[in-house]
Parts: sequence; structure tokens; C-alpha cells
Amino acid sequence: MRDDLVIHTHQLTKRFGRFTAVEALDLAVRRGHITGFLGRNGAGKSTTIKMLLGMTHPSGGTGSMLGRRIDDPRENRDAREHIAYVGEDKQLYAFMTVEELVRFTRSFYTDWRPEVAQRLLAQYQLPPKRKVRALSKGMRTKLALLLALSRAPELLILDEPSEGLDPVAIEELLQMLVAAAADGTTIFFSSHQIAEVERIADRVCIIERGTLVEDLSLDELRESYRRITMGFAEPPPDEELHMLGVRRVRRSDRQLCVLASSNVEAIAERGRSMSAVSVDIAPIGLRELFLESVKAEP
Amino acid sequence: MLWWKAWCESRARFLLSAGALAVISATFVFMHRDVSTGISDEPMTYSVYIWKITYRGYLRELFMILTLMLGLGGLTRERDHRTAGYTLALPVGRGRLVAARAVMGLLQTFALAAIPAIVIPALSPLVGRAYPSLQGWEFALLWAGGGALVFAIAFIASVLFGGELTAPVAAFFGLVAYSLIADLPVVARYLTDIHDLMSGSDMPYFVKSSATIIGPMPWTSLAALMMAVVGIVVIAGRISQRQDF
Repeated sequence: MRDDLVIHTHQLTKRFGRFTAVEALDLAVRRGHITGFLGRNGAGKSTTIKMLLGMTHPSGGTGSMLGRRIDDPRENRDAREHIAYVGEDKQLYAFMTVEELVRFTRSFYTDWRPEVAQRLLAQYQLPPKRKVRALSKGMRTKLALLLALSRAPELLILDEPSEGLDPVAIEELLQMLVAAAADGTTIFFSSHQIAEVERIADRVCIIERGTLVEDLSLDELRESYRRITMGFAEPPPDEELHMLGVRRVRRSDRQLCVLASSNVEAIAERGRSMSAVSVDIAPIGLRELFLESVKAEP
Repeated sequence: MLWWKAWCESRARFLLSAGALAVISATFVFMHRDVSTGISDEPMTYSVYIWKITYRGYLRELFMILTLMLGLGGLTRERDHRTAGYTLALPVGRGRLVAARAVMGLLQTFALAAIPAIVIPALSPLVGRAYPSLQGWEFALLWAGGGALVFAIAFIASVLFGGELTAPVAAFFGLVAYSLIADLPVVARYLTDIHDLMSGSDMPYFVKSSATIIGPMPWTSLAALMMAVVGIVVIAGRISQRQDF
């Protein structure tokens, strides 16, 4: 097991009856990084996170968090002492007040930072005496974030953290995540908001139909990933482009669109040798990579 | 703090139940002249009246329903309310979560069982009657034993079934099934019927004509009931360990 990995899964699988939610997932989240976990609805993001936190039992494969096995209840519980988590629902105990919930949560952790909790209570304008059931969705989201961010965990896991927040609160959240990462907390968060991921993450994992389809750093994406669009006078030849660096190829009427992670010049040259009348090379952003990754396979 | 959470989660149900039992107990005491003629044409002593209306009758049935409601809740219900993720992310095992809820629920059951024992002897002198405290506490002990089993049935139903109505309905049918089985002559020798145990009906420690407990308390039956309760809670804990949330 590598020490620089805070999350590591090998062939992790979860089946619900005949439906496979996560299939042979090999996930590696590096210590000290902000890793975005992208995928469409139902791609398996939340199921993966639930397996990591011991809420759902894997059907197969293995995994570890902070060096502890995720499928061992005792080790998983030990790991959770060092993990803060905000779930996708952000539902909290409706029968408690804000301050009761803060007191309740604080009692389980040794890394609680009261000054941060006080600051966030004021910043988020959360009324301490109000029952959670009387909070708006946005305020409940803020409270869930407060309970996670008031600690100094080794690992912060967030499932759609910005959902339900207004733009100002999203901005504050992103700044806090960056600050937490600067303090040494590893952050692993799922999101549909690609712009947010692109802004703060330094690594990205993309999951599609329960399988990891991309795992790369955003620097790698910016520096190496390119879209090579080859135009042909006639329908493009059926030749397979089995070359180093070719990630995906999409054919249309008179075009070949190649997603390349390296070896760009050689791939472009190959296109020209296939009688392409035009070869355009363009950098791609995370949004394009995501769309390519999730729609490439039929 | 898990105890505190279990208390916060169930306090409304418990306080309402306690209030209902106290108010109805008090009503039965203050209205005993009117109510006693309503339940029997024959004249009866105050002790017999209290037994018929409270320890055998309506109040006991209400107590069982309220105890059944105390057993509901837990992680399966939290899954429906979408708070299970928050609870399960805490650094505590599921066994501790289950244990905290079970112990809190049983304590509340015992507290509910004690309410008639407190209210009836305390208020009876106000209407010129007397009801022995010791009798009240002996019935409270019997109610605690029977109530614990009802609680346990509801507790395991709440682990097995989600939904606001499914668990209480399943628990109710579980209780009905138990009652029917306990009435079977073949089973009656081996299985304590908690309805009889709680009311004293046909029990060797109870004299029906005076509606008083005279013999030694059924310690063996109570101990067996508590062992069954612990067993059911342990099974519920094991089931909970295997569930996906």
C-alpha cells in the first residue's frame, strides 16, 4: 500500500441485485491534493463514497482509507475519526437545534476547532437556537459544511458540496476548501459543477457506469491533452488508430475526432498520412474531457 | 452523546405518551364513580375497579400501543429521512448506535410502566379512596416486563422495515401473532403470555376477587422475558450491521 494514497480501491464492486452500480473500480486519491470526482447522475459516485465510509458493503474488491481497510467495521470506524464528510442529501437531525447539533458533532472528534465553528456560524448567519427542521435547504447545506469544516481532518469527503448554495456561499466554500488543502487536508469531492472542479481541484477522477474512465491531474490535462480533428474529402478510412496517446476516437461523416493524452504530433502526422485534408489540434478543457469520457461509449 | 441523541429523537413520543398515561390514570381516579358503573353493573371495590380499568383494561392496552411506538426509529427510518449518512459517518460502530437506542427505549418503557403506580396511589386520597403503592409498583414491574417485549418487537420491526407506516404495522402484526401463539394450549406451558402476566389474570400470584397481587412475583418469567428482549435487540444489531444505507 502506497503511503501517498489516502484512498485506494482495487476492483471495488457494488451490485444491487442485477444492477451493477460500481464495477471493478480502481481508485487512487493522493495525499495533499484536491481531487474532483466527476460523473453523471447514477454513475456510481455516491455509492463509491458510501462504500468508502462503510455505509454500504462492497460486493467485491478491496479498498482502504488512510491505511485502514474499508470493509472492516473496526478499521473503517478508526478511519472515520480522521475524516469529515458531507453527504449529498445534507439532511441533519430535524429534532435538534443548530447549537445542539454542533455540540453533538463536536463530542465525537478531537480535531474540533471551536473558533472556526464560531466564525462559520457568524459567516453563514446560522441561528444557533433554531431547529434544523426550520432551516432552509441552503442553510442546512451551510450547517452540514460547518460541521465538516470546523474540524481539521486528514481527509475531507464531500458529495456535491455546493448543491443548494447561492453564488456567494459557493465562492466562500471554494475558498475554504483551498485553505483547508493548504493546511494539509486532502479533499475528495464529487460534483456536477465542472467549473468548480476545474477551479480548485488539482486532480480529477471521472467515473462512468461504475468504472473509472479518467484519472489525471489538471496540469496534465492542460499540458498534454489535445483534441485532434481530422477532416477528410471522403468518409474517413476504417483504419484503427492504435497509437500511443490515443484515448478515444469518434467518427462522423467526414471527420475523425481524436482525444489524445500524448504523442500529439505523431497522431496528427498519422492523420495526414491517411489523406486528411485538414488536421486541427486544440487544447481541451475539463468540460470537454468529461463530455468525451461519458459519451464516447454507446 | 449517543444517549442524548436517542433521547432527543424519542423525547416527544415519550413525553406525549407519559402525559397521556398520566392524564388518563388521573381521569380514571377522579371519574371512578361514573366509569365504574359504565364497566360493570355489579358493585365492586375500588381496587377491583382500578384493576379492571387500568391494569387489565384500557390503560394497559394504551400502554402497549405507546410502548410499540417507542420502539420505532433507528437507522432504517433515518435512511428514509436521509440522515443515515450523517449518523453512519460518525466514528462509532453500528452496535453502539443500536445499543444506545435500545437502552434509551427500554428506560422510557420502564418509566411509562411506573406512571400509573405513581399517579393512582397519589391521587386516590383526593377522592376519598386508597390504593396501595406496593400494588401499583408490583403491577409496574409486570408492565415493565411485558412492555419490554412489546418494545423489542417494535425495535426489530423498525430495523427490518423502512417507511413511516410499514414498521408500526409490522410491529403490530408481530404483537398480534405473538398473542395468538401464546394463547395456543400447546405453547402456553412454555411461553409467557405477557397480557396475562401484566394484568395478573389467571396467574398464581394474583387474587381476582380482590384484584390484588399476593404471591411472590414471577421472577423467572420476568427474567426469561428480559433475556428474550436482549436476544431480540442483539439480533436487531446483527441485522443492522449487514444492512446497506
